[in-house]
Amino acid sequence: MSKFDRRSFLMTTAGLAAGAALPLAAPPLIRSARAAGPVKLGCLFSSSGTMANLEGRMNFVAKMAADEINAAGGVNGSTIEVVTSDPASDWPLYAQIGRQMLAETKVAALFGCWTSVSRKSVLPVVEQNDGLLFYPLHFEGDENSKNVVYVNSPPASSVLPAVDYLMSPDGVEAKRFFMIGSDYVWPRTINKQLKGYWKSKGIEESAWKEEYVPFSFSNFQTIVNQIRAFADAPGGKCVVVLTVVGSSIPDFMREFANQGISSSDVPVLGLDMVEADLEGLDTAKMVGHLNCWAYLQQAKGDANVKFLKSWSDYVTKTGAPFKKDVAIDPMVSTYDAVHLWAMAAKKAGSFDVPEVRKAFDGLSFDCPSGYKIGMTAENNYVSRGVFIGSVNETQGFDVLWQSPDTPKPVPMSQY
Amino acid sequence: MTRFIRKAAAIVLAIAFMAAPALALDRAAIVAQACGGPGSMTEAAAALTAGVATASKDDAAWAATLSGAAIERTLKCGSPPVIAAPAGARDAATLAPATSADGTSPLLSLKNRPLFETARAAATLFSGVTQGERGAALSALERRAGSLPPELFEKAADAETDVGLKERILGVGQAALLNSPDVSKRISAIERISVSADRRSLTQVAGLKTDPAYATDQAFKAAVDAGVASIERRLQISNALNTLYNGLSFASILFMASAGLAIIFGLMGVINLAQGEFIMIGAYVTYAVQEVLRAAAPDLLDWYLIVAIPIVFLATAGVGVFLEATLVRRLYTRPLMTLLATWAVSLLIVNLVRVGVGTQNLQFVTPSWMSGGHLLMGDFIVTWNRLFAIVFAAATLVLTWVVLKRTPLGLNIRAVTQNRAMAGCLGIATRRVDMMAFGLGSGLAGLAGLALCPIYNVNPQMGSNFIVDSFMVVVLGGVGTLAGTVIASLGVGQINVLIEPLYGAVAAKVIVLLMIIAFLQWRPDGLFAVKGRRK
Repeated sequence: MSKFDRRSFLMTTAGLAAGAALPLAAPPLIRSARAAGPVKLGCLFSSSGTMANLEGRMNFVAKMAADEINAAGGVNGSTIEVVTSDPASDWPLYAQIGRQMLAETKVAALFGCWTSVSRKSVLPVVEQNDGLLFYPLHFEGDENSKNVVYVNSPPASSVLPAVDYLMSPDGVEAKRFFMIGSDYVWPRTINKQLKGYWKSKGIEESAWKEEYVPFSFSNFQTIVNQIRAFADAPGGKCVVVLTVVGSSIPDFMREFANQGISSSDVPVLGLDMVEADLEGLDTAKMVGHLNCWAYLQQAKGDANVKFLKSWSDYVTKTGAPFKKDVAIDPMVSTYDAVHLWAMAAKKAGSFDVPEVRKAFDGLSFDCPSGYKIGMTAENNYVSRGVFIGSVNETQGFDVLWQSPDTPKPVPMSQY
Repeated sequence: MTRFIRKAAAIVLAIAFMAAPALALDRAAIVAQACGGPGSMTEAAAALTAGVATASKDDAAWAATLSGAAIERTLKCGSPPVIAAPAGARDAATLAPATSADGTSPLLSLKNRPLFETARAAATLFSGVTQGERGAALSALERRAGSLPPELFEKAADAETDVGLKERILGVGQAALLNSPDVSKRISAIERISVSADRRSLTQVAGLKTDPAYATDQAFKAAVDAGVASIERRLQISNALNTLYNGLSFASILFMASAGLAIIFGLMGVINLAQGEFIMIGAYVTYAVQEVLRAAAPDLLDWYLIVAIPIVFLATAGVGVFLEATLVRRLYTRPLMTLLATWAVSLLIVNLVRVGVGTQNLQFVTPSWMSGGHLLMGDFIVTWNRLFAIVFAAATLVLTWVVLKRTPLGLNIRAVTQNRAMAGCLGIATRRVDMMAFGLGSGLAGLAGLALCPIYNVNPQMGSNFIVDSFMVVVLGGVGTLAGTVIASLGVGQINVLIEPLYGAVAAKVIVLLMIIAFLQWRPDGLFAVKGRRK
């Protein structure tokens, strides 16, 4: 062993200094290398706050879809890298992180937002920077930006068919409606359109009632009392149109069941209700309540079998803190979104937003829902199928009704 | 559509009035209908309901089994259709053991579900083995009595052996005669319905005012008017009870969430923003107890909430003492730092739980004694989980009061609250009292978490929902008084519940907040200010 002397000390120090300096010089080098390296996709899904339980799982689905595409050789010679973030269920933070991702991380497209209020806050950001936001939730419509891809359905192809079903003789011939929602843009706009729709059908204004509660409201006792009183008043069968979001959904359903109201007395149409909301509830007393989405886990077809298998494998592999046997519509929509983006980028031969946007026309994809979903040159909406689900004993939804095909999405409501 | 309705009606009439005694149900045909589309399932349910009154007891039992299987989706429409059961599949028509259990289960549509429920209840009324079963079936039928053939109740009463239940069946049968051609029967039906004082009966009876008999028959008119008046009077009482109960249950939650804070904030002036997370920890410990019981002693699973009480209290108190000893103690002279530090602790705890357990809502077993509720009077329903919270809050209140007023520890806590320096001079180890008080406060928060398990969702973020409300209650009640906290939670709870139906839940929150601000302008120390010197 050589003695530790002054010379060796100097040599070592110099070596260390050079080693430390190298990364400082490296960034320009790495940056230029990255242009031909992986292409980045940004996720705007909260893993903390009131939306965490629902949005969190989408980060993993986006990665899973990217892995699938990478395994098949990537897009335009690049592999996809998914960048995740945590906007913490704080709506303005979605915009801030979205801006960072577009300007600094240079993502090719954004995937994200659950609530409409978060989408509305990201909207100006993607419009200013000419970015692309893939939005995986069904929503209130009345918006048509060239910078947002509406992967899920506007009301005309989700809520209205479900309400029609309830009003039909096959449903319960509903005559009266109790609307209860969280106090923000999605429930208010949906309810406004529903009221317009009912007016156009000649239903009196006295036949409905509207109530709103704050975000993460949980004390539904009084409201369920009001629903009972409203349902027992004369005028025909009453249904509840539920547009509360997040943790308010299980709280509402629990109180509803505890006060002894079953789906055969007053059915609830939960527009934002998914399997994840029923976790931890005794659904035996809630059997028969409804939801409507563009995908339900029990959808038939090979694409769904394959999707459920990949999700289950992915959760096992990565240890993601979500149930491996639960798949919800926004997960499938996010999965569809990543694939649609990859198909468009491949068709365009570029990752530039204007080029990718042009390539949307005529895309079609075998969605796990069993429908062939497609896009047209007319707008950035994706045409999806419609499912009406019915709560079963095992905290899932059975398919009660599904549309024969994918109705053409109508962005602007006439009501 | 009308053609279909006419067809269904024809079938119902044909089966109801073919008038042969002990007319056997055409089992094979009904099973085939039940395995058809939604339309023919409607016919199957109608045939079952109409047929049970004249069918043999054996057939009635079969009808109950078949409609139950349709509701629970154990009916498998293969060839032949079978009813799946853990003990082995049985043929759907003969109930003989079957070999295969293949085939899809038809899903009941929203319209067919109540029809099959009625069919099952009607069949059980005839074939139920125990008196309890038949009684439950009758309760289920009571709400839909008007849509059933009246002779169903007559036949059931004839067949009934229990005298009390026979009376009840006759009573329900009477109520079902509201639209009978015989006016005297209608009047007795009105009288009968007016005894139950819910809004549905009001709608039923008040609807008769448009009936032609109301204008022509004086006795009928008098009966309807008396019925409406009597129901309305009792509805008012039941509504008032409902409001009281809702207010009380909200108040019990507010009190549970803020009792611990009242002690910690009151005693030490420490603004503990991690209080909500102690509630969450309490709920998670309850979950752990449930899981241990599930694995070790499944028989006790129904009582996990009771078993968990001491464990939850000790565990959260332990976390509280640890937090006090390591952090809060060092920051007593710097309130702002405490606020920030406890906030950091709350974020740390939330994220630890999120990483360690996950963000999903925890699944709690609802003990059988806590699901559903009891319809006390009219529309006034007492839900068991809320009643549990109220009783639990009352018990906590009593125990806390005893600890504070009747134990040496309580005496010390009160002494330190009133005058810290003087208490120290008299030889009370104020630091030790602080630690114990912090532990007591945390333990109470943990118990709040336990009480909330059957009512709210348990997830890492649940604590933040309570922190604002509990500070509001503590400040309104007057810092450091248990009585103030009780009165403030009762007041806030009741006012919230009163305002909610009038102006909506969003406005209720705003109005309550404004009222509290106005009140604090008038009495800055809250409802009950502790007389004493605070440094």
